[in-house]
Amino acid sequence: MSTATATAAVTGMTLRDRWRGATIASASLAALLILAMAAYRSMDVGIYDSLPPALRAIIGIPEGADVASLAYSAVFNAYGALTMGGVAIAVGTSLIAGEEGRGTMGVLLANPIGRRRVLAAKAAGLVAIVAATTALLWGAGVLAPVVLDVNVTGLHVGAFSLHFGASALFYGALALAIGAWTGSRGAAAGGATAVMVLGFFGTGLLPLVSGAEDAAQIFPWYYLSGDQPLLTGVSWAHVAVLLGGCVALYLLADLGLARRDLRNRSVGTTLLDRLRTHPVTKRLADRIAGSARVSRIWVKTASEHQVLLVIVVTAMFWMMGVMMGPLFAAIRSLPIDIENALPESLLVFFGGGNLSSPEGYYQVETFGMMTPLAIIVVAVAVGAKALAGEEDARTIALLLANPVPRSRVVLEKMLTMVLYAVVVGAATFAGVSVGSLVGGLGMNLANIAATCLLATLVSLVFGALALLLSAATGLVRIATAVPAGAAVGFHVLNSLGQINGAWWGGLSPFHYYLNSDPLVNGLDVPDALLLAAITVVLLALSVPAFSRRDLRQRQ
Amino acid sequence: MTPTSEATSALRTEGLTKHYGEVRALVDLDLDVRPGEVFGFLGPNGAGKTTMIRTVMDEIRATAGTATVLGMDSHRDSVEIRRHIGYLPSDLALYPNLTGRDTLTYFANLRGGVDRDYVRSLAERLDADLDKKVGDLSSGNRQKVGIIQALMSRPELVLMDEPSAGLDPLVQRELQTMMRELANEGRTVFLSSHTLSEVQRVADRVGIIRSGRLIALESVAGLRTKATRRVELDLDGVADPAVLLAVPGTADVTVDGHRVALSYSGRMDTLLAAVTAHHQLLDLSTQEADLEEIFLRFYRGADEARVLS
Repeated sequence: MSTATATAAVTGMTLRDRWRGATIASASLAALLILAMAAYRSMDVGIYDSLPPALRAIIGIPEGADVASLAYSAVFNAYGALTMGGVAIAVGTSLIAGEEGRGTMGVLLANPIGRRRVLAAKAAGLVAIVAATTALLWGAGVLAPVVLDVNVTGLHVGAFSLHFGASALFYGALALAIGAWTGSRGAAAGGATAVMVLGFFGTGLLPLVSGAEDAAQIFPWYYLSGDQPLLTGVSWAHVAVLLGGCVALYLLADLGLARRDLRNRSVGTTLLDRLRTHPVTKRLADRIAGSARVSRIWVKTASEHQVLLVIVVTAMFWMMGVMMGPLFAAIRSLPIDIENALPESLLVFFGGGNLSSPEGYYQVETFGMMTPLAIIVVAVAVGAKALAGEEDARTIALLLANPVPRSRVVLEKMLTMVLYAVVVGAATFAGVSVGSLVGGLGMNLANIAATCLLATLVSLVFGALALLLSAATGLVRIATAVPAGAAVGFHVLNSLGQINGAWWGGLSPFHYYLNSDPLVNGLDVPDALLLAAITVVLLALSVPAFSRRDLRQRQ
Repeated sequence: MTPTSEATSALRTEGLTKHYGEVRALVDLDLDVRPGEVFGFLGPNGAGKTTMIRTVMDEIRATAGTATVLGMDSHRDSVEIRRHIGYLPSDLALYPNLTGRDTLTYFANLRGGVDRDYVRSLAERLDADLDKKVGDLSSGNRQKVGIIQALMSRPELVLMDEPSAGLDPLVQRELQTMMRELANEGRTVFLSSHTLSEVQRVADRVGIIRSGRLIALESVAGLRTKATRRVELDLDGVADPAVLLAVPGTADVTVDGHRVALSYSGRMDTLLAAVTAHHQLLDLSTQEADLEEIFLRFYRGADEARVLS
């Protein structure tokens, strides 16, 4: 009896710690679904019927697509599945590796409850969270067509939701298993995310290569909608693959956790750390990881986010930059009426543009959403953690015990953020330029540079907002959530404004990013200046915001 | 503005008050720490010790009143002040990914003018491991890094908030020795603690804070005279209890033949003068004055404290 109580307590704790983020994510997706359905309702979607199947597969649009299935696919297949996969990975990581990383595993296991039972209880929490969020999204999927009066005859939303939930659970279980074996948060979250993202790209791109169509089946992502559950109902074989995978991963986690020494609270060992202990490389590694890293506040801040930067820069340079060139060259040679492949009102969400030109293609694939997204992620991460992160960790007390004015701390952290945004922008520029060269697309380099500059500037608006909120509140949560929400909101606002030709699209910073068509027309200087001005104002406000308030205290 | 060597106070607060909404964390605190002393700042958890220090460090701003450090205003001149002081916060947090050495280098870079040999000697004295990442250190070893950081610039004033947390007794002793050395060099140590024995051992004066108010300010020697101790006297005859009770501070007098036992708080010479006026003193035994009792009374209630003073 007492074991059951203990198990329930652990499950309850897991739910209590994690329900908020999951609920916010699924509620946002539900809102996005309704929004998407409302947007598609006002468009002529008949064009999709004439799309070649291969292209439809990449964008995840099933045959015979109508308003509802377009909306469902957009949310469940792409954003939704990535978001919920991310939520599940975050939960799965926190269960074992997170508990060890925080150093709380010892206290937990000091209670009369075994490792196996702790794992079971926590896994139950993961299942409950994924089930609840999936149910919420399913509810929205059922409700939206009723509210908006959209015909959903022949669509299996429930089936799609089941696939969706099973897929998210799989990535959560993967993170849990890696965490249980290694006790490392980085390995758990990084490994599971890598599998998910690789699958996302692989499932989309492999079918384009003739002969490799079936290879996509090696990715768990394939089983989300490989059998088109929205149109054909539950594919039990695919669900079995996903859920069977979850069970296998759980058993693996159980095995791993039982046989290993638990970690004490510890920090990861990087490659540089190893080089520092090796006699041959010690001097140089010490220089880089030691004395150079701590030479200034901004350098140290930069060193803290290097992993994120490396990942984003790699993705932007290779995937979004270099690879898109030859890919476009290949697609252009196919007998597809690419110019009319997608309705303009849908393209607008991805930045708009003429898909048959290299500029238009890059605009839709790389610049419309991915580039600002990538720079915003980096800028907001650095901006939000800049000051609030040190307050959260309470290291701010020692930092400010030095004869350094608060304003200088803000300015140096700001410098890191701007530098990081510029690096991602520059990597995108380099990637796209190389992609254009490799694909023989002959794009104008100055125009690519202009577009990357505008992308950096528009992203810095949100990074600056993050820094300002970080300075004013000292709360990482607020400094992250508000700019992220604002970015999504303004992006939608700009797209809808553009579709409707309405003036209020101009209220969105994104309006000043691509609306002047910089890839074709070059830099629009007033747009650039406006974006820079907004950023400067926000950054300037963050100095007094930080200097004037009481630092937070752990109560 | 620079500190004046003739500054009469190392740290001075006047009417220092800090409210968090309804909570009165500090109420009208007047304090004067003299240059060259070790000042013990005592109080139970949540009394306002850390709030006071954070206000002095300009981490938070006073609701009313002022604090001056080495003659400079704690808010207006805060950057200049930080050039001359060292600080060890309570519940120390460091950057887990940096080694101890990286951490000290970082702060030395921000501060400037830190003598590396001195850092080395401090590390040796405290037996600190500076090559490991701070996140992998035990709390005591992490605390050593914090202590070195606070002392490495040879500050004129060191503010230490619970510095002994996590340290083993040997290192605690070494730290206490260091604090006395600093005071002997004319530097000032502001030691916030709830470890009575530590304060008793190193402090010249103590301030006791309770519920945000200063309830006592006294030299350790002065406190000691107020502590009640048990005294036993062997006399050449039988004493008259009334004579002994007439000495202020005596109580519980029992006379057993030539031996007298009593409780006494006050200066020993007063008692001895009263006794030797009537008898020859053959032997005397007394236990060391224990401040713990007196502190506990201060902690428990202001009313009792008032009776004591």
